[in-house]
Amino acid sequence: MHSYISLKDVVFSRSGRRIFNGVSVEIPRGKVTAIMGPSGSGKTTLLRLIGGQLQPDSGQIMVDNQPISKLGRTELYAFRRKMGMLFQSGALFTDLSVYENVAFPMRVHTSLPEDMIRDIVLMKLEAVGLRGARELMPSELSGGMNRRVALARSIALDPELIMYDEPFAGQDPIGMGVLVKLIHDLNSSMGLTSVLVSHDVKESLSICHYACIIADGKVIGAGTPAELQEHPSEQVQQFLQGQPDGPVPFHYPSPAAAADFGLAGGAS
Amino acid sequence: MKQRTTDIAVGLFMLAGLAALLFLALQVSGLSPKSAESTYTIYADFNDTGGLTPRGKVSMAGVTIGSIDAITLDTETFQARVAMSINANIDNIPADSAAVIRTSGLLGEQYIDISIGGDMESLAPGDTFYSTQSAMNIERLISNFASGK
Amino acid sequence: MIDRIASFGRSGTELVVSLGRASRFLAGVLWGVPRPATGFPLLLKQLYSVGVLSLAIIVVSGLFIGMVLGLQGYTILSDFGSEAAIGQMIALTLVRELGPVVTALLFAGRAGSALTAEIGLMKATEQLSSMEMMGVDPLRRVIAPRLWAGFIAMPVLAIIFSMVGIWGGMLVGVEWLGVFEGSYWGNMQASVDFWDDVVNGVIKSVVFGFVCAWIAVYQGYDCVPTSAGISSATTKTVVYSSLAVLGLDFVLTAVMFGNF
Repeated sequence: MHSYISLKDVVFSRSGRRIFNGVSVEIPRGKVTAIMGPSGSGKTTLLRLIGGQLQPDSGQIMVDNQPISKLGRTELYAFRRKMGMLFQSGALFTDLSVYENVAFPMRVHTSLPEDMIRDIVLMKLEAVGLRGARELMPSELSGGMNRRVALARSIALDPELIMYDEPFAGQDPIGMGVLVKLIHDLNSSMGLTSVLVSHDVKESLSICHYACIIADGKVIGAGTPAELQEHPSEQVQQFLQGQPDGPVPFHYPSPAAAADFGLAGGAS
Repeated sequence: MKQRTTDIAVGLFMLAGLAALLFLALQVSGLSPKSAESTYTIYADFNDTGGLTPRGKVSMAGVTIGSIDAITLDTETFQARVAMSINANIDNIPADSAAVIRTSGLLGEQYIDISIGGDMESLAPGDTFYSTQSAMNIERLISNFASGK
Repeated sequence: MIDRIASFGRSGTELVVSLGRASRFLAGVLWGVPRPATGFPLLLKQLYSVGVLSLAIIVVSGLFIGMVLGLQGYTILSDFGSEAAIGQMIALTLVRELGPVVTALLFAGRAGSALTAEIGLMKATEQLSSMEMMGVDPLRRVIAPRLWAGFIAMPVLAIIFSMVGIWGGMLVGVEWLGVFEGSYWGNMQASVDFWDDVVNGVIKSVVFGFVCAWIAVYQGYDCVPTSAGISSATTKTVVYSSLAVLGLDFVLTAVMFGNF
């Protein structure tokens, strides 16, 4: 197994709060890797660290054998052409049509002639099933279509790596099914290294080759979906099964209930 | 097509700005295209320049022929030395002319009026007026009048 | 009491920090001057939305301000029997002060707030982030054209404002109140100097344009990416721009027209 991305002992904190406390993850080339964890566990932050938008406090992040956090500005921007990222909101440019949105990376980074750009854009839109929607503006699209256009845009330059930030959040079952199929197809047909951040356990495990679960700033479990199902850790099992109470308590840390309700000792 | 409309609108916008600037230059400030004409400098020493300021006008028989460049104090004679630039085409000011500080209207700006002499010689660039008449000072005028001098 | 002093000190530090960040941001934007081929169409687009679309409010305000100046000036000057000086008064007021200042205030309200809201919303919807991830520097692609557009559009708008105002003053003074047209223009031309008055006014508006555009794009770029954050950033843009314009106007006037 050859790692495309490897994080070693990454420590990261933001506004005084430690988000990662020594996280090490290996992401293999050409496979779908799911990163799962409860909300607020810093999954999106992890993607931003991989993309070089944030700098770790310590530790090393290697992407395709490049230390991403040590690259200069110009190198970093050049390197990012090899990456695609699908944002949770889609992040389409609202002042451009669907067609122009998908054409945008090509117009900026290449000097391809217009008819070639047109062919590529239509191909990419065909891949996500939205060739017919090319004249629409982003505000005229549904949430799911928005995300599919964004997906077409992020694969416009045929990247080596694509990162999905919560692709299933807020999708209806059909939209979810479409995205699951797209992610799977893109990976198998183009050999993309895919990183998937999600807390939808069922969908994620159904398409990923590897998964790792992050909680409390640490990796609490990693392996193939089958290995994870058998994982001995209670915390992993609680997350996978979706049990309301367990090692992750239902209650936010609080003083004893009796004291709060004024029942303690009766002499207040 | 959309891009083209934007281009045209922006082009017109910049043109409108340019036209407005031209309007301000020609119609409002009366800047004439021949403003870069050549001048020469002459000097005059006054006991009192009153409210004379740089950029003030220099006139002869009511016609503006130049402007005041600088007003400095001569530390030896303790007189004010006024440098003025005169349009180069007026090169025959008689050498015994006098520079007089006058006021336009009762409360208007002060300016230098050149009262013409009769000498055959003309003032050359860098020359100094032989006779000058300082600013009329209303307070002094009143006190002179009151003391009957 | 100690708390109050401490919080005063803290807000002072905050001010210095945010000023430092704004300056670093500015350096980043100016450093990345867009390549002419890609940058020029972007600049044109922003000039359109910042400049051309502000034209209507500028022209209408300029006209009314000129007309009011004409009316007020006539009333005051006719007491001294010198209503012929009305042209001079209107032109100097507009060219030196009201043109640059009122244009800048209107610009901050009309275009500055729109810039902040637009950039803030792009940030909130992760458009700026996604641009970064596509290997496109948003400072160059999004911020720089807007900054330059504000910088270029402001003097143009201010000049148009002054011109329309002078014309509006003539409408009232000459057409309505019957000041002789020759003395309207004549007095004006005698007292307005192109370099000292018109050009200094343009320099003022260039400075204002730069400051307003800088504040607007910085507030947008730096805002908290929520709806409350964007609305407070928009408010800040208008407030800070107006204060900066009025304060700078005093400084510039003192330097340009104060004899000392």
